[in-house]
Amino acid sequence: MDDSDDPVVSVLPIHYSNALFPNLHTHQFPLLNRPLQTPPSAALSGKRIRARIKPNVRRFEVLVPADTRPGFWNADRSKELGAARMDDDRDKNQETAKGKQREGEEPRLGEVRMRSEQIPQKGAYMLGIVRDGHLHLHPVSEMHQLRPTLTYLDALSRKNKRRTGGAGSDSDSDDGPPPDPDEPAPRPPSPKKEKKSAGEPREVQVSARKSSDDKGGMQPLQGGLSTARREILLAIRTENEEAWEDLEFCDVETADSESAFEAVFSQSAEPLECKTEVTAFLKHIPGL
Amino acid sequence: MSSQGSGTRSRQGIIPSPSNPSPSGSGDAGPSQPVSRPSSPTKAIGSLAKKQVDVTRQGTQKLKFVPTIPSRRKKECEPSSSAIPSSPDRGRGRGRGRGRGRGDGRGAAPARPPLEMTASGPFAMGPALAGQSGRRSIPRSNFTPIVPPGSGSSAHGAGLSGTRAPTLKNDKEKEDGVSAKINEQDEYSDPDEGVEIVDMENIRQMDWAAPESLHRDRNEGRKKKAFRIKKEVSAEAAATDEVDLANALDLSESEEEEELEDLIEDFALQADLEQDPGIRQERLYFFQFPNPFPTFLPKAPSQDEVPMNVDAPSTTPKRVTFAPDSKPAQPESSTASTTPVPEIQQNSVDDPEPKVDGVIGQLEIHQSGAVKMRLKNGIVMDVAAATQPSFLQHAAYLNMPSKRLSVLGEVNKRFIVSPNVEALLSAMDFADRDDQAAGAAEDLTRMDTA
Repeated sequence: MDDSDDPVVSVLPIHYSNALFPNLHTHQFPLLNRPLQTPPSAALSGKRIRARIKPNVRRFEVLVPADTRPGFWNADRSKELGAARMDDDRDKNQETAKGKQREGEEPRLGEVRMRSEQIPQKGAYMLGIVRDGHLHLHPVSEMHQLRPTLTYLDALSRKNKRRTGGAGSDSDSDDGPPPDPDEPAPRPPSPKKEKKSAGEPREVQVSARKSSDDKGGMQPLQGGLSTARREILLAIRTENEEAWEDLEFCDVETADSESAFEAVFSQSAEPLECKTEVTAFLKHIPGL
Repeated sequence: MSSQGSGTRSRQGIIPSPSNPSPSGSGDAGPSQPVSRPSSPTKAIGSLAKKQVDVTRQGTQKLKFVPTIPSRRKKECEPSSSAIPSSPDRGRGRGRGRGRGRGDGRGAAPARPPLEMTASGPFAMGPALAGQSGRRSIPRSNFTPIVPPGSGSSAHGAGLSGTRAPTLKNDKEKEDGVSAKINEQDEYSDPDEGVEIVDMENIRQMDWAAPESLHRDRNEGRKKKAFRIKKEVSAEAAATDEVDLANALDLSESEEEEELEDLIEDFALQADLEQDPGIRQERLYFFQFPNPFPTFLPKAPSQDEVPMNVDAPSTTPKRVTFAPDSKPAQPESSTASTTPVPEIQQNSVDDPEPKVDGVIGQLEIHQSGAVKMRLKNGIVMDVAAATQPSFLQHAAYLNMPSKRLSVLGEVNKRFIVSPNVEALLSAMDFADRDDQAAGAAEDLTRMDTA
């Protein structure tokens, strides 16, 4: 039917391989338009893109150094935010391994942390590469979207709110009156309090009073905390408690990437048998 | 002018002074004085407006604003002489309404940015010309690099070194040669007094952190499209003739044609591209198949499928096999086709998938641009271009044992694969007929016994 009025111009054999299964991912950077690179200014000072992962919760972070040239970067603000980020890290138990710069000098915000969010897949995703007139397919197991995390801003605003007593800090951008030099800087009463404050004031109460069991403690206090919320809080807590593992981030030009790239290709030209029928597609439509 | 200035000072009130509202004004060598002469006996009223002074307080010659029309090419010798005085009164000059107050100093940058192909993003087309100049400082070993902005599409996501997507409007400049667009750069007159002329489209090249510029359609993209479709020879004649046709032309249809042609470009004819040995030519494509992805196994004596839960959470393998009661094949090596199949029951979804490697079918590209995948077992799928995102997408390999996250490259294009409806329906018919035949036979037997 299609040969008569629509002749075939070219044919590419399709190869399929799952050699790297299930470790082939697609990472999307929804807010990024340009390739992920270290800025030249940062590369000169030796900074590279790093990555770290929490394997059990399938979350990873890519830490991209920022362009800290004077014309583009406000150094004072970076110190302020760097301090906030340190606090945030400490509270959430996710400090980076590098503690060198904290000895003596103030921490600076020098990198952008892109946090991954796994996206459920709809259908089967394949990565296809055309080489030498052959199309090679490889299944993609996971899809992640990476966005910069700005949780240190939360820490900063919390600090400011505490400092000003909560009454005067209506706007987040307003830092409030400078702290009284005589009075000690406010510190969070307990680190656990920060852990739970993932955006909801209620949780702060909960964790301050919690003794051993979260679920037991929450029920009488909240009187209506739904199961879903409890589950979410539990998930957040387990995630915060898991430690980061450092990963080596290999960019496209590295030898590791080259070898991985080559591994995607199918090595054999042996024809494979297909076990499923076309009708399987119809049958597997949910609800049909 | 200075003489006139001193003259006016001495002639206060006696001789009527002609009011000079010219912009060059009467110059005052010293501190500026009001130019009105209120005590003049004549009726002429001096202008109360403060005239522009040609000479600043430092006594240097101030520059006059002379609007330049871009097409004018004559050099102004004044700028060269006032190169030095221009810097101190740059600020003042800016306040005086100079249109372009970008006093970076003369000679800061070349007047015309270098003719280079720059990143243009997912909607830009362009073949994978590797090793392009115009790449940023860090070369990507990846494929399709930067595509010139002149290729008629929005530079949304222009920085992606490998991204190309079918455009929403005309972008099929590939046919015309990428360079044809690039060579058309607006001619500007030479910059004067330290103003750097930067083509808005080339801002991206100025700095690593420079923003992307939205592409501006230089040519009438529609007309060009009409040309290509109609394959007219003479441009002008075609322009006049085609105007009506272009109006009548169904735009969606022409967009489709472009997209389909893009698919052809993606799959066919990779060989004619320049081969830069250091840079990978292959582009990464992303295909979305419907669930379940058919299982493929090497040719083995016993065939097996096991029901699997398709919609289990993300770590499940993509393939689904169905039904009955046979044992799955667990091929040891993918190369030998006659290996005896070990009989291992594979029921759980999380078991490691058998490593499979081989040819599963072929991709057919038709003349109209339709792309079909013909897989084994009569599966025919249509391939269509999906919505191209404007952001960066990486294909990455996570190697947990060696704690490594390797980026394989950027995904250039996305495709959606869907079963060909005609093939699907005919297969359904066929299956139904089979069922009916089987059912009828059973009925007969039942009726006999009943």
